[in-house]
Formats: sequence, structure tokens, C-alpha cells
Amino acid sequence: MSRRFYLIGFLVLMAFDTLAQLSFKQAGNAALPLELSPAWLARVFGQPWIYGAFVGYIGAFFTWMSLLKRAPIGPAFAASHLEIISVLALSHYLFGEDIGWPQIVGCLFIIAGIICLALSETEEPGEEHPSGTAGAARIVDNA
Amino acid sequence: MGSELSPLVITLWVLNILVDSGGQLAFKAAASQPPHELDGVARWRFMLGKPWLWIGMGCYVAEFVFWLAFLSLVPLSDGVLLGSINIVAIMIAGRILFKERLAPLRVAGILLVSIGVAVVGLAG
Repeated sequence: MSRRFYLIGFLVLMAFDTLAQLSFKQAGNAALPLELSPAWLARVFGQPWIYGAFVGYIGAFFTWMSLLKRAPIGPAFAASHLEIISVLALSHYLFGEDIGWPQIVGCLFIIAGIICLALSETEEPGEEHPSGTAGAARIVDNA
Repeated sequence: MGSELSPLVITLWVLNILVDSGGQLAFKAAASQPPHELDGVARWRFMLGKPWLWIGMGCYVAEFVFWLAFLSLVPLSDGVLLGSINIVAIMIAGRILFKERLAPLRVAGILLVSIGVAVVGLAG
């Protein structure tokens, strides 16, 4: 399968992950003040953004599973965490958050670390993947 | 954002790390249990009859709530970067529980991600 398949696949994955995180933030803001109580949960589920988070989660899960059928785990692992870049950019434009040097430097370190981990996965074919914890560590999760 | 790292924020962050790692490891344990000859529906039926899959799902439900609460208190840009520490936690847990090898590149990756998270967490 072509490079185009991977490119489109990972862009779709990034889009779903980004949608999930933006929706989480919007849902959290809309439900303020935070209180770990049924009233807070009612506010969370009483507005539409939380369902954007569900759509993002489910979409990312199925996109990831489709990609993993063909993509090698190492590059896939790295590409699947790059939504931090899109989330950083959009949190500035949509929420007016300040993206200063700590965020930029921190983001660069994290990306460098993810690339190292991806290269490490690539160097150990067959030993653990795709069920190794690195593969499992993909943030259909949060974060 | 240092001033925003209140005890509640830190508690929610740690809880998120715990349930995310717990969930991933529970799924890993669930996927490792069925005999190799089981496939498809039979494999899922086997896993559904054991506790690990359900523990993993429970962790994910808890994580959903903790992550939402955490993000409602911190800027999204900081939240997603701080959340990257989950990658490190899972790698270390994989090493301890599943005896996965920590190759030099993995150690470097863990250190770099940790430094990145520390920069975001400590700045401000």
C-alpha cells in the first residue's frame, strides 16, 4: 500500500485525536466549576462537546486499528503521538492560550523522545510488537 | 503555569497516569491470556470471561473522568504535554511487569519525554 495511504491515515488519526482533546477542553470549561459530584457529571453530559470527545476517541481507535494492520509499529507509534503539535497550535488560536518557550521547548523534547522510542520499536521487530506496551501506549488515550 | 499546579491538579494528573497505565497494562494482560489457537470470536469470549479486560475498561472510564477534570483546570496546551508522561509510565511498567527490554534508545526516549514534561510543568 502506498505512502499516500499512510499519509492520509495518519492525518485522519491526528484529526480525530485533536478533535477529542479540543472537545474535552470545551466540555470541561462548559461544566465548570469542577466538583467531583453527580451534578458536575450532569453538566458534562448535558452539553454537546462531550460527544465530540466520544467521536474523536472512537474514530481514532478504528483509524489506529486500520493503520496497524499495515504500518510498522515504530513509525506508527511516533506518528500517532504527533497530535500534540496540532493541539498546541489550535489551543492558541481557539482558546487564546499563550504558547511560550516552556511549551515549545517541552514539545520539542517530547517529540525527540517519541522519535527515539519509535526508532527503538523499529529496531526490535517481532520481539514485542504489536502487543508490546509501546504499541499499547498509543493515546487513543488521553494524552 | 506553575502557579496553577495546585494540589488538586497534581492529584488529578497522578490519578490519570495511574488509571491510564493500569488500563493499558490490563489490556496487555488480557491480550496475553488466550491460548494461541483461539481466534476471532472465541478469543474475545475467552477474554470477556476473565477480569483483565473488565479492569482495563473500568480504568478507561475512570480515566475519561479524571482527564476531563484535569483539562478543565489547566490550559489545553499544557495538559496535552503533561499527559505525555503516560508514555514513560507505561514503558517503565512494561519493563517491570512484562520484562520488556529497555534498549538504549528507549532509555533516551524516556529521558527526553520526561525532560519535556518537566520543562512544561516547572516553568512559569
